[in-house]
Formats: sequence, structure tokens, C-alpha cells
Amino acid sequence: MDTAYSFAAMPISNYVFPNDLHVHWSMMIVLYPYITGLVDGAFIIAALYYLFDIKTLRPVARFSLLFALAFLCCATLPLLLHLGRPERNLNMLLTPSPTSAMAGFGYIYAVSMGVLVFIVLFVYRPDLVELRVTSKGWLQFLYRAMTFDSIDLSEDALVLDKKIIRFLVGIGIPIAVVLHGYVGFIFGGVKANPTWSTPLMPVIFLFSACVSGICAIILAYIVIRKIKGRTIDHRCIKTCIKTLTLFFILAFAFEMLEVFSHSYLRTGYHHMVEGLLNGPLADSFWFWQVKIGSVIPLIILGVMGIFNIKDRLYDFMAAVVSTILLLQVFLMRWNVVIGGQLMSKSARGYTEFHPEWFGKEGILAVIIVMVIPFIILFVFSRIFPFWTTGNETDV
Amino acid sequence: MKIINPSPKMNRRSFVKKVLNGTIAGSLYLVWPMGSESLEIPEQIPGIRGREYDIHNQEFAFIVDITRCIGCGSCCVADKREYNVPDGNFRTWVERYVKGFSDEVYVDCPNGGLDGYQHPRKDITEKVRDTFFVPKLCNMCREAPCVQVCPVGATFKSPDGFVLVDEKRCVGCAYCIQACPYSARFLHPVKKVAQKCTWCYHRIRKGLLPACVQVCPTGARKFGSMKDETSEVYKILKGPGVLTVLKKEMGTFPSLYYEGARREVI
Amino acid sequence: MDLSYRMRLLIVLISIGVLAGGGLVVKRLLIPDSFGVYGPYRADAIVEAALVPIRHGTNASCFKCHPYEANIHKNGRHHTISCEFCHGTYADHVKNGKKTGTLPVKKGKEITTLCLRCHNTEIKARKEKVIKTVAMPDHLKDQNVKITHNCNQCHHVHAPLKYIIRAKQITGLMEAGS
Repeated sequence: MDTAYSFAAMPISNYVFPNDLHVHWSMMIVLYPYITGLVDGAFIIAALYYLFDIKTLRPVARFSLLFALAFLCCATLPLLLHLGRPERNLNMLLTPSPTSAMAGFGYIYAVSMGVLVFIVLFVYRPDLVELRVTSKGWLQFLYRAMTFDSIDLSEDALVLDKKIIRFLVGIGIPIAVVLHGYVGFIFGGVKANPTWSTPLMPVIFLFSACVSGICAIILAYIVIRKIKGRTIDHRCIKTCIKTLTLFFILAFAFEMLEVFSHSYLRTGYHHMVEGLLNGPLADSFWFWQVKIGSVIPLIILGVMGIFNIKDRLYDFMAAVVSTILLLQVFLMRWNVVIGGQLMSKSARGYTEFHPEWFGKEGILAVIIVMVIPFIILFVFSRIFPFWTTGNETDV
Repeated sequence: MKIINPSPKMNRRSFVKKVLNGTIAGSLYLVWPMGSESLEIPEQIPGIRGREYDIHNQEFAFIVDITRCIGCGSCCVADKREYNVPDGNFRTWVERYVKGFSDEVYVDCPNGGLDGYQHPRKDITEKVRDTFFVPKLCNMCREAPCVQVCPVGATFKSPDGFVLVDEKRCVGCAYCIQACPYSARFLHPVKKVAQKCTWCYHRIRKGLLPACVQVCPTGARKFGSMKDETSEVYKILKGPGVLTVLKKEMGTFPSLYYEGARREVI
Repeated sequence: MDLSYRMRLLIVLISIGVLAGGGLVVKRLLIPDSFGVYGPYRADAIVEAALVPIRHGTNASCFKCHPYEANIHKNGRHHTISCEFCHGTYADHVKNGKKTGTLPVKKGKEITTLCLRCHNTEIKARKEKVIKTVAMPDHLKDQNVKITHNCNQCHHVHAPLKYIIRAKQITGLMEAGS
């Protein structure tokens, strides 16, 4: 290929449209899909137990519901911090534009919140009824409200509860899929940005959401149980890891499919994205997200799946792989959200992004937003018993 | 000049409301906010003043002739002054294209063209084949992606064909900024709402040309009503000249046309 | 109260329905008046956009009070240039028919810089048929004037050929009236 042709093929002069120098969607928009992803993944674990009867997941099923709820409570925080005029946020509910994907947010969020709250209430009802009897003061009032002021634990009522739970989890799955898939769609629907506009985007977001949520549950379960000095249910961890492996293979396959199919097609799109992935994103995408964050976990998960590993080591590896994958998903969000904006719509150049520390979309704010769900989770732990009493390893 | 004034009992707000509620059939009169001052300026777009503005029966066109643009940046300066556009954000800008014999295209736009182009590019080592300027502004897409994605209806297409921003409802989510293929939008750093070129809607409704058109010394920017068969834009659009739009493949159907735009222009 | 569990759940369900319905009613009340007149947006916003005060006048608005400059400007080659580009906006100068501020007049080297914004040959994109360009300092040398000369020492800024034509007429290089 002569030089003239290769130049023509890649008309990159590093010209950025003057309005493209600024990255408008910064870390809070990285964080938002990350949080809804955690909600989604955690909900999938609960759904596997309550709807698909995967009994080994029992030890984490209830916990994952509360985990999902704690994070769902904070899902709007990054959005409010991001909005230029957060005081007008209700406009989204008042006058949702029928043509905008984003306009659905308020309603999708409200419905998923409602469904999740009721699933938690029905799942915990037997415990809440018991706690109601033993508690006093405002706590008792709270328990009365949460049990609909009924102490009916008869066979008939419990059967009804079970049916309601199955129904709610059943509609919860499509709602969770919509809640997170729609986030992917918001990006996938931006035709002006070639790294975003792909129908694969919601799919990639969904699978990586499942990955991050399951990882979070595994890690939280292992860490909390270790701190409390209680046993870890190895069979549960094993089921989680198997599910995780499946979702991660799908997520990684789709992430790579997107890159490789375009690099093989070698369209104009490819020439722009190639420069992005090999330029400003060379480190965060190829090294951190793909090599460290994806290939290494794949090897570890492969080893865990193929070889017979002692329980203690297996659990340790589970914790390690979960940690890496939690970072991988965060990096993936980063590379999609921030990385996608680094490429100017001039198709001729790339801008830069330097995270700030103290702004309302700064690193400190990100840390605070990520800490709040754990505080909520702690509060929940005072109200709801995380783990089933009695023989925990019992199926 | 005849100005249509509402009856003195009616304040502007209630008047506007009445108009919008259809009491005054389908039309939108305009009440001048700054005395009669702007009316003392002779009308530049015929057919606007002194008659009902039928919002459903208007068509305007904007044509940029890049063979006439000399890159003086008057338009950028006028635009910044007309709206007090904050530094670093641009409603309009002028790009400089330099094409080498290797087919490499070098584009730059220092400070959006506000300071003009005083010097040639020094960093190009190869022989230059062609060089030209390209003014950019809102494309007023007929299928505007910004209007589609705005979650709260703060960006909309008015019946007379303008894509406008309702600054009182905009939540500042910046989705429209992401969606605009032309990067014509920005978030106002103080008001925290999206802003963009409106083709000077406030001037047009007063019968005046957009500020950038008005100051362009070479007539590279042309604006007019398509309802006026004597207007320059009407004649150009009716004629055989080749007009192109930017990023046609985006399916946005811009109503901003370019005359003499080379294929390198994105 | 002594209601059965099923009954209580029914009440919860109905309350959710009532809340959601109430929410929709409140939503209707909070939607701005002119929303939806033409489409899913506030129609008043169009009026507001139209009522934004203008800041640039036109050359005609300047000529009204500056007849001397107007006469030169209108008859010179620079007649297409906007007064406000060099001097600033009308709104910074006049309000309700009264002068409110003084606009700047460019002086000395500023003028040369301003002229070269358009007339610099070095910028290749300027076509002969659109604009006459000069290379600096070659033009000064060619015309046998000092290299430190500013453009306005030979060219009237409002009508660049005014003095040139006059000089040619005086020296007989050009017939008067042509």
C-alpha cells in the first residue's frame, strides 16, 4: 500500500470540533450504568433462586435482593449530580417526550423500585412478623407497616406469598432488563457517535451488568461472612461462579465481537474507532479492560471450572476473580461512556478527559456515591436479617 | 410601518396565551419588547413585518457558499456578541481546511475562528493542493436528533421549521449535545442549559437577517424566506447549482445547505 | 382492625392504584399551560425565543446618526462590511434612542491587523473574484512607502480606494469622474 492511499484511508488530523473539546458526560454517567448494573446482576441471582428454583443459591438469594434495593435507592444520585439543572428533574416525569429513550427513565425507575420493594417485603414477611412481636417502639411500628399489619403466617398465607413472589420476580426480570438495557440503548441510540451507535450496546450492557452484580454478591457474601466469622456455603459460591462464567463469556464475547467485526469490515467507522482504541484508550481498553480485566479472569474461571480445587482455595479464587471483574465492568463503562466522547464528531481527532477531584462530578463525589449504598445496606441489616437462621447450608 | 399591537388591556403574557389557546386563529403576533427601536431599522426579510405571522406557513433557508468565505471570522464575532456566548463555546465557527497532494486533509479552527485566520499553517510539510474555509452552524435538521432525544421536550422543532431550546424547561442532561452529529450544541456554563444557534430566530421574527449573515462581507452566508420568490436563497435553491448538506448519511435532512463544499467537509 | 391477610393485600393494591392515579392527576396539573399546543413542547417558548432583544442593528441603524461616515462607507468598496464588526454592537451604544456607551475606534497597528484578517494573501483560500488580497510587507515595498506604514495611511478604512482614486485623478493617471 503506498503512503498516499494509507493517508487517505485515515484522515486524522487531530481536529476536534470546538464544542467537542469538553466531555459532557463524565464520571457520574460512568457510575450510573455501573450502579444499575449491580442492581440488575444482584436481581438475577435472586431470580435464579425464586423463579428458576436453583436451590443452591438460597444463602445469597435474600441478601442479593437487599443488595439490589440498596443500590437501586442510589441509582438516581449520580444522575442528579450530573444534571445541569437538578432542581428540574421532575420535568422528566411531567413532560416525558414520547420520542426520547431517556424520557422513560422516571417511570421505569419507579416501577422497578416498587416491584423490588414488594419482593423484599414478601420474601421477608415471615421474619418481619416474628420481629414485629419481639420489637418495641418505632421499630415495631415499622414492622407493622412492612407486614401490612398482619401476623397471618398460616399455610394458606405463605402459599399465597410464594405465588406473589414468583409473580413479582417474574415481572421483575423484564423490568430489570428494561432498566439496564435501556441505559445501553441510550448510548446505542446516539447515531452521531460511532462507538456508541450499535444495536449490540444494550446487550453488552446487560451481560456486563449481570457479571458485575453476581461478582458483587459473591464478594459481599464472602467478605461479610468472613468478618462475622461464619461459614461460607461452598456450593452456593460454586453455583454463583458457574453462572458468572456463563454471563462473563457472553459479555466478553459481545464486547470483542463489536471490536473485531468492525476491524474486519474496515469501514470508515473502523478507521475512527481504531485510532481511539489504539490511541487515547490504548491503556484503559486494551491493557486494563481486555488483558487484565478479561483475559486473566477468563483463565481463572477456566481453571476453577475444569480442575478440582479445594473448597477454601476455590472460595479465595472466587473472591479474587470477582474483584477483578468488578473493576473490568467499571472500566468497560468508563471506556464506553468517556472513551466514546473522546472521539470528536469531526471524525478527525480526539479530545482529552482529566477527572477532577472535588467537583460535583469529581472523584470524591464518585466515592461518596459508592459508599452510600453500603450505608443503606447496613441500615437494612438492622431491619432485615440478611441470612436465614438455623442451618444455613441447608437447601 | 404597521405594528400589530394587542389591545392595551391585554398584557403580553395573557395575549400570548390567547394566541396559543387558539382565540386568535393559529397565528402568532409579535409585540416588540424594546420600544419601536428595532422597527426603525429597515426590514431585511420582506414579508415578516406588518402582517400576521402564520407560523404554519413559513419556510426559511440558509445557504453557506464556501467558495466565497474568506475566513475573516466576522460571523463568529457577531454571533458571540449577539448572544454573549461564553468563551470556549460556539454557536457558529469557521474551520480551515488544507488539502495536501497526498490527499491528507488538515483541519483547524483556533478559538472557533473568532480571531480570524491571520497566518497560514506552518506545520504542513507537504505541498498544499487546496485550501478553503467552512463556516459551521446549526443545521436545523428536519429530522433533528436533538429534538428526538430531549427527554423533557425542551428542544423542539417549531412549526415554522426552527429547532429551538426552551431554556426554562431544559434540565441540562446534555443528551442533545451527544446526539447532534454536527456538534452545534453546548451546555451554557452558567445557565447550565443546552444552547445552540437558532439562526437568530429573534431577529428573523423582527424581519432582520441573522447576525452572522448581516455582517458577512462577502455574502458567503445567505438567508431568506422561501415564500419570497425574489430572495437570493429561493433563486439558488430553484437553480441548477449543486448544493450539499453535511453528514447526509445521518438521515437528519438538514435545511442548511452548502454551496461548493468539497467531499472532505464533515 | 380484623381484616384477613388477603383483604389487606387487596387494600395495598388499591392504594397503589390510587397513588399512581393521584400522581397522574398531579402531573396533569403541573404541565405548563402552553405545552402541547403545537407538539410535545411549550409553545410559549417560541414566543420567548422571538422576543429576545436584538443586539446587532444593521448598517442602516448606524447611518441614521452618522451621515458623514455613512456617505463615505456606502459609496466605497467596503460597503458590504458591517459597521458593528469593527466598532461593536448597536446595543452597547444606543438604548431607546439614547446613547448609552461609546464604541471603540481602532487605531494604529490594530487597523493593519484588522485589515489583514481579510486581505492577507498568505491565506490561500481567498479568491481573486471575492476579495483583493495583499502580501505584507511586499505591498508596502511595491508602493514605495515606509515599511512601518499602517494600511489607513493610504487607504480610507471605510472606502479603501477613496484616496487612491483621488490621487490618481490629481496626477492624471485617471480621468476625473471615472
